[in-house]
Amino acid sequence: MISKELEKAGLPVALISAMFPVAQQVRANRIVKGVSIPHPCGDPSLPKELDARLRREIIQTALRALESEVTGPTVFSPPVAMGG
Amino acid sequence: MITIVHIVNQFFAGLGGEEKAGLPVNVIEGAAGAARALEMKLGAEAGISCTIYVGDNYFHEHKDEAIAAILDAVRASGPQVLVAGPAFNSGRYGMTCVEACSAVAGEFAIPCVTAMHEENPGVDAYREIADPRLYCLPTTETTAGMNDAMTGLARIALRLARGEAIGSAAKEGYISRGIRGIEKTEQRGAARAVEMLLKKINHQSFTSELPLEVWDDAPPAPPLEHVKDRNIAVVTTSGVVPYGNPDKFKTYRNTYWRKYNVAELKELEPGKWEAVHGGYNVAYMNQNPHYGVPLDALRALEAEGAIGAGKLYPAYYVIPGNQGSPTVMRRMGQEIAADLKKDNVEGVLFVAT
Repeated sequence: MISKELEKAGLPVALISAMFPVAQQVRANRIVKGVSIPHPCGDPSLPKELDARLRREIIQTALRALESEVTGPTVFSPPVAMGG
Repeated sequence: MITIVHIVNQFFAGLGGEEKAGLPVNVIEGAAGAARALEMKLGAEAGISCTIYVGDNYFHEHKDEAIAAILDAVRASGPQVLVAGPAFNSGRYGMTCVEACSAVAGEFAIPCVTAMHEENPGVDAYREIADPRLYCLPTTETTAGMNDAMTGLARIALRLARGEAIGSAAKEGYISRGIRGIEKTEQRGAARAVEMLLKKINHQSFTSELPLEVWDDAPPAPPLEHVKDRNIAVVTTSGVVPYGNPDKFKTYRNTYWRKYNVAELKELEPGKWEAVHGGYNVAYMNQNPHYGVPLDALRALEAEGAIGAGKLYPAYYVIPGNQGSPTVMRRMGQEIAADLKKDNVEGVLFVAT
């Protein structure tokens, strides 16, 4: 809801969310797959270093999403395997 | 005999238009103005004991007095049901109808019914109030639909007065308030879910038992060229705030947002931040606030040049997003957008929990 208002104001938004099907359903436009609801940017089950790297990948994917032309809800997946 | 009180504005009381919008609350015995049309639809079973009218401006400029006067008039009349409107697409009138109904339903625990066009701002208020005693019927945009609106109001008012159960919005045709009802069904939940899933897989239509809020469609904002040269800000609904929650966010239904300065920080140290949110397990976020505000990653990317020096906004924005009402969320979104634009932010990383 909030991200939609930002987009309406002309600001591209990269929405990092583990609930990407919901994000699609509510028609967010640039959706970045987060790891899980309580920790979208990272994975506490990973060693600290890998967790930080995963977070960086997610943010890089989000920056890439901001650079991408989209016409509707589009999911961007960070180029790393994420746990369930 | 069933007693009904009808609330209308100065125009539908027959007193005049905009020039009379400052008229205070007044009571006319019996049915007056538009209330006469309602009375005709009610038939012999019910009568309108009084018509309350109030000027469109007066109600909003003197809300406390107006509501007090309306409550006094309703108290004196003791109706079984209150009817307000129809307000069609008149915004002030629609808001008056919903707010007056809500006050009366709260004070006297009687059912109230109003009617207006679905784009009337009163409908947002009605959904937000979501009082099970308050019903709003959809109407046309203009008074062209007066006859149908009055027929609908009379029908539901009579049923409410008789104490009849009113079914779901989908079945009865009133505007949905988003209240979940409980009903008995033949099939258990698992069977219904499988049936729905099979229909979905086969691309057949099905009706969800938990419909999602209908969201308005915003066209995608244009992409940013050379994102590393752009001003970027972080907004999050994770509820990460400085430890101690200085702005006293609640764990649900927050109505304001804040931004917290991180300009001097390389990372968010665990223990100095906490997550305030009633909708998810905040233990991980408290352990490592970067899961909601990824400052460490942003600083690393800044050091590498993927985010330009000084391009990361010095503060992050937060609203604990749990159970926010759409109207309030929309308002906060607009406020944050205005604040970001004022400071020339060009793109947003939005972390949602």
